[in-house]
Amino acid sequence: MTNATTSRKGTAKAATTSAKRASNVKPATVLIVGAGFAGLGTAIRLQQAGIRNIVILERASAVGGTWRDNSYPGAACDIPSNLYSYSFDPNPDWSRSFSGSAEILSYIEAMVERFGLQQYIRFNQNVTDLSYDDDHGLWHASTEGGASFSGRVAVMAQGPLSNPGFPAIPGIEDFKGKTVHSAAWDHDYDFRGKRVGVIGTGASAIQIIPELAKQAGKLTVFQRTPAWVMPRPDFETPDWQKTLFRKVPASQSALRKGLYLAHESMALAVIWQSPVTRLAERLGRWHLRRQVKDRWLRRQLTPDYRIGCKRILVSNDYYPALQQPNSKLITWPIARISENGVRTVEGIEHQFDAIVYATGFEVSHSGTPFPVRGSAGRLLADDWARGAQAYKSINVAGYPNLFLTFGPNSGPGHNSALVYMESQIDYIVKGVKTILKRNLKALAVKDRAQDEYNAGIQKRLARTNWNSGCKSWYLTEDGFNATMYPGFATQYANQMSELELRDYTLITA
Amino acid sequence: MAKIDLDKMLVKIKNTQWALSDIDWDAPGADLVTAEQWPQLKEFMADLMWIEHVGARAFAAMAKKAPTDTLREIYTYFHAEEQRHANAEMALMKRWGMLDGDELPEPNINLRLVIEWLDRYSDEMPVYVLGTVVPMLEIALDGALCKFLLDTVDDPVCHQAFEKINDDESRHLGVGFTVMEMQGHGATYIKMVEMAAQLMDPRLILGIASYFPLLNKMRDNVVAMGLSEEKLYACMRKFEKIGGRTEDGRRNVWFQIIKFHSRWVVDRNNRFYHAPVDAVVKLTGYIPRRVLPAVPSWVKELTYKPTA
Ligand SMILES: Cc1cc2nc3c(=O)[nH]c(=O)nc-3n(C[C@H](O)[C@H](O)[C@H](O)COP(=O)(O)OP(=O)(O)OC[C@H]3O[C@@H](n4cnc5c(N)ncnc54)[C@H](O)[C@@H]3O)c2cc1C
Ligand SMILES: [Fe+2]
Repeated sequence: MTNATTSRKGTAKAATTSAKRASNVKPATVLIVGAGFAGLGTAIRLQQAGIRNIVILERASAVGGTWRDNSYPGAACDIPSNLYSYSFDPNPDWSRSFSGSAEILSYIEAMVERFGLQQYIRFNQNVTDLSYDDDHGLWHASTEGGASFSGRVAVMAQGPLSNPGFPAIPGIEDFKGKTVHSAAWDHDYDFRGKRVGVIGTGASAIQIIPELAKQAGKLTVFQRTPAWVMPRPDFETPDWQKTLFRKVPASQSALRKGLYLAHESMALAVIWQSPVTRLAERLGRWHLRRQVKDRWLRRQLTPDYRIGCKRILVSNDYYPALQQPNSKLITWPIARISENGVRTVEGIEHQFDAIVYATGFEVSHSGTPFPVRGSAGRLLADDWARGAQAYKSINVAGYPNLFLTFGPNSGPGHNSALVYMESQIDYIVKGVKTILKRNLKALAVKDRAQDEYNAGIQKRLARTNWNSGCKSWYLTEDGFNATMYPGFATQYANQMSELELRDYTLITA
Repeated sequence: MAKIDLDKMLVKIKNTQWALSDIDWDAPGADLVTAEQWPQLKEFMADLMWIEHVGARAFAAMAKKAPTDTLREIYTYFHAEEQRHANAEMALMKRWGMLDGDELPEPNINLRLVIEWLDRYSDEMPVYVLGTVVPMLEIALDGALCKFLLDTVDDPVCHQAFEKINDDESRHLGVGFTVMEMQGHGATYIKMVEMAAQLMDPRLILGIASYFPLLNKMRDNVVAMGLSEEKLYACMRKFEKIGGRTEDGRRNVWFQIIKFHSRWVVDRNNRFYHAPVDAVVKLTGYIPRRVLPAVPSWVKELTYKPTA
């Protein structure tokens, strides 16, 4: 087996070791990048289909992805746990309607245990390059340490939100105090009594702020754009419910179905402009009015874009936390970060012991997190230079045998990401089975099929709230939406339910 | 002043930020304010500071209504910059021993009424109404008052602060006049009538009822400081000159309205205008503070402390 890609990387020594290993190790059937929900779920379903020659490459030393990294105080899902979990691995024991990060991580760890996935995972393997070898119909992954792995099929499950993002504020390196990112929490740092600044008011921020407000001596929150915040129906799960779920599993899947439908109906508010959108905005305004009495503060917290255009947040304790005597909301633009804190345009330097960045993740709409080379060495980042595109979000023309989870236009705005992921995973299993059964060297989606699919998607997107004028991480700089799926989860599931072979070129080995 | 590229302006604004801590508020020179000047200056500074604050609140309203993302961001910056001016002026008052402890100086009653109006109605006003009144306020009050100040006060720290403030103000004015021209651009007769029709809005009439006396009151304050009111008028004429330099600018109905109004203001012989307005100034002087609603909470954000 040739390995052009690893020799590109490092020293002669590394190249020879990996070449040796590569020649010894038989290629896996499926090579998966990432041991988060997506990668692990894919392995489970493949295994259930009798495919066991799997390798999962994970850059960290533990599983869990999002839920391993996001351990900040208050971290929790905002889709009810009974829906934010896999239908093929129900958990009767969720302690709350919206479980915390630690509990979700335990669920993932238990899943690894239960399905015996440990054997497939190679930890501390940070993939730096993924290349397709046309001659052999193989994907080769090179990792940071100089190792290389190969497989007939590659699954990119490295997560859409796995690289912490910092804002482009001048002077960000100048700060002498403690800097913490929400997705890389420092549990050894004691926030008690400290002067803390939080930058950002998105999904993570509104979970962190109420917790930090309990600890910090002084908490200052810097907001650029106020988001829509909805009441959060959070409660502890009663014991009888856990017992019921364990004794009558059908009752839990019934609840899941109900939650699923309830969230599906929210698409009407979130995705398109409809009377329900107005209703949702009324609910958001009511929540704000009820929790914030001061007129000016309410003005500062009132969103000026249509609901659904950006991610909708849910919280009962965010607004109250901002009004605690030790906390303060700042809406002045940030001019720069200095040695001692944050300078805002009204001329004041807000001084801190620690600055918390709750500024989300680096989201690439056009690039790829590492170079991905397809047929004849073409580079995915080049193909995506004007916005990422795929066929049904899962395959890309010119990149045979490659599957994406959370690919272009697969983002849910209103429903559990895992619902979408299950559709993707089942599709991947169908693809792998097709390759094995027909002994294909390559299963390659046709250009035309991809173009037609995308023309339809972009037409439908034009009518959605996401493309209604606000700036968000869903859109590229020039307003191209390569992120969201413009429809119900049910529609998405339908489109994924069939692997239509006429849309593919099949090359036999 | 040529028409400005607003995108470039936004970049420039971001690149030329300053903070209160850039100035040494304890540097020598505070004693250059004479005992004679002190009492008048105290009142003058308080008014000036509040006018900045009025400008700030108006920009906040304009940011909500801005027609483009760039303008919205520019106005968001201007809102904060006006606040910075007020903060810096408060720091000067602190330096000159004009603050009672941490107390905010009281605005005069006419300013107080304008603040009240802005807080209640400005968010609902069409952007071109504020977009024309604000440059007028900035040029006449901000601009003229700063000039008086620099002519009378020798304290170098004061000059240092106002050099920065004036740099900001010149950008505010540049954008202000550009926007006025944008709004006048291609204005048809119908659009002009529509713009003028806003005059009938009772909320706006209330605003006018607080804006007219404010100008006369400030004129009186200027005179009380021993300054020539002619200088104030010269500034107001500048508004007419710059605002009307292009066809587009002249087609902006609100420019025309404010221009005519400013002509009345500068004409002391126009008894028809000044008699009733001066009477209102006098009358408002009798409004007991306790009947006014509590000051809005944004007012409490003012501070003379460079760090928080
Ligand atoms: C704070 C937070 C809350 C969320 N809440 C919800 C919610 O309530 N509901 C919902 O539907 N969604 C939610 N999401 C979205 C969430 O990201 C997805 O639901 C899901 O967890 C994504 O799983 P994943 O496996 O695709 O990615 P991840 O969980 O990110 O896993 C990707 C894995 O790949 C590894 N990896 C990345 N790059 C490489 C590389 N180069 N080489 C090797 N390994 C690599 C990472 O270390 C990671 O372990 C939330 C996200 C965040 C950040
Ligand atoms: Fe000003």
